Amino acid sequence: MDNAIYVGLSRQMMLERELDIVANNLANVDTNGFKFEDLISSADKVSTPRAGGPSQALTFVQDGGVARDYSQGAFTQTGGPLDVAIDGKGFFQISTASGTRYTRDGRFKLDSTGKLVTQDGDPVQGAGGDIQIDPTKGQVSIAKNGVISQSGNQVGKLQVVSFDSLAALSKDGANLFENVSNVTPTPSTDAVLEQGMLEGSNVQPINQITRLIEINRAYDAITTMMSQTSSLSTTAIQRLGAVNPS
Amino acid sequence: MQALRTAATGMAAQQLNVEVISNNIANMNTVGFKKQRAEFEDLLYQTIVQPGSQSSDSGTVVPTGVQIGAGVKAGSVYRITGQGTLSNTGNSFDMAINGAGYFQVQMPDGTTAYTRAGNFSVNDQGQLVTEDGYLVQPSITIPQNVTNVTISQQGQVQVTTAGTTAPTTVGQVQLATFLNDAGLEAMGNNLFTESGASGPATAGNPGATGYGVVMQGYTEASNVDPVSEITDLIVAQRAYEMNSKVVTTADQMLSTAVNTKS
Repeated sequence: MDNAIYVGLSRQMMLERELDIVANNLANVDTNGFKFEDLISSADKVSTPRAGGPSQALTFVQDGGVARDYSQGAFTQTGGPLDVAIDGKGFFQISTASGTRYTRDGRFKLDSTGKLVTQDGDPVQGAGGDIQIDPTKGQVSIAKNGVISQSGNQVGKLQVVSFDSLAALSKDGANLFENVSNVTPTPSTDAVLEQGMLEGSNVQPINQITRLIEINRAYDAITTMMSQTSSLSTTAIQRLGAVNPS
Repeated sequence: MQALRTAATGMAAQQLNVEVISNNIANMNTVGFKKQRAEFEDLLYQTIVQPGSQSSDSGTVVPTGVQIGAGVKAGSVYRITGQGTLSNTGNSFDMAINGAGYFQVQMPDGTTAYTRAGNFSVNDQGQLVTEDGYLVQPSITIPQNVTNVTISQQGQVQVTTAGTTAPTTVGQVQLATFLNDAGLEAMGNNLFTESGASGPATAGNPGATGYGVVMQGYTEASNVDPVSEITDLIVAQRAYEMNSKVVTTADQMLSTAVNTKS
């Protein structure tokens, strides 16, 4: 009898986790280069609910994983000379204090020494390490293949890398991804860089709001089921335990 | 429930976004104003199942893992230093910079500030000053009985006095450039100061390599684009609303859970 309540509880916990993920998606609806996520639930089969009892399928709900959708976000034109969006697969390589990270957020700027950095000040990696730009040497133009030039002279080349399996990436906050497997990134072949553009978040607000409604209703339904199960036990105890059953 | 706090970070971020947008719109007609943009980034993730961790002895790995994000934060409020349009004022002491560079202004405490607002005037001693009366550096004094003032694109200030025909040079306007002028610190009154992020100022004459030219009789309007500000405002408002829906949903779920025990 209690199993119904425990199965319901496992579903409730999953729904709360799903809500956390939807909340994070919606909080990042305006974050450049953000990739939305969805919880995958799986059935966790326990074959023997009772020791020695008849074998009866009992299935708990379990979180199988978080699926991340790497589809491209909408491009917005900013006109910023150091704003770059990647059209196609791939990531920019960023060198941070805790190692190499990857991002699709191409809002770059110069630091006080003229180095191309992210908004957190971490250097963007080019084909040959850090990229140095001297703003007095003329306008910066970034070609579709990542070559950065000023007044016709090449000053660096943005490196875009891609992964065979995107499951190797883990989110690290600050719009960065970390490579947590031993998959080696390779230079991307099909990526096209767009100067003066930024890739927005790929969160679809309508889908997320619909998910919110679903989660809310499912939580209501499962709670009702649990409360009915509980009142069933109460009634049973009252009926069966009465001295003079009517 | 994490969702409540996550949604709160989303609402706080959009509130900041609206504050930045409203400051841009308020300064739509401020001479030399440069628009700002709030930049967001996602917060840290709580890793519940590490992607790529081993799921069995035979070397199979978890393909996706479970990571739950904690919301969003404002990474920076970035100044877009693009050129504003030049508007003709006809005032001979007004100057606009077409290209890179800042005018240098001596503050009352002796430090140097930088500005793109070239709506200058002369004070009672004939010195070129900003609209707050601060001296423009290097200082330029306009003598009395001047009939005509000409400022060349290279910043040379020449005057013609009554009774003479040949103009005399009385000063040279200089501009300062920075490696990262988006990193200058705004101090109000259209003025900026050098910061650790901007790098040191390098002074030079207008028209030299890497410096803009000076246009006499013009001022530089703000580079705020009202249409894009209004569309950004709509996006910010909707995003705020969506995050508030998450708060409502989380609240309803908590209420359902609490009311289970009657």
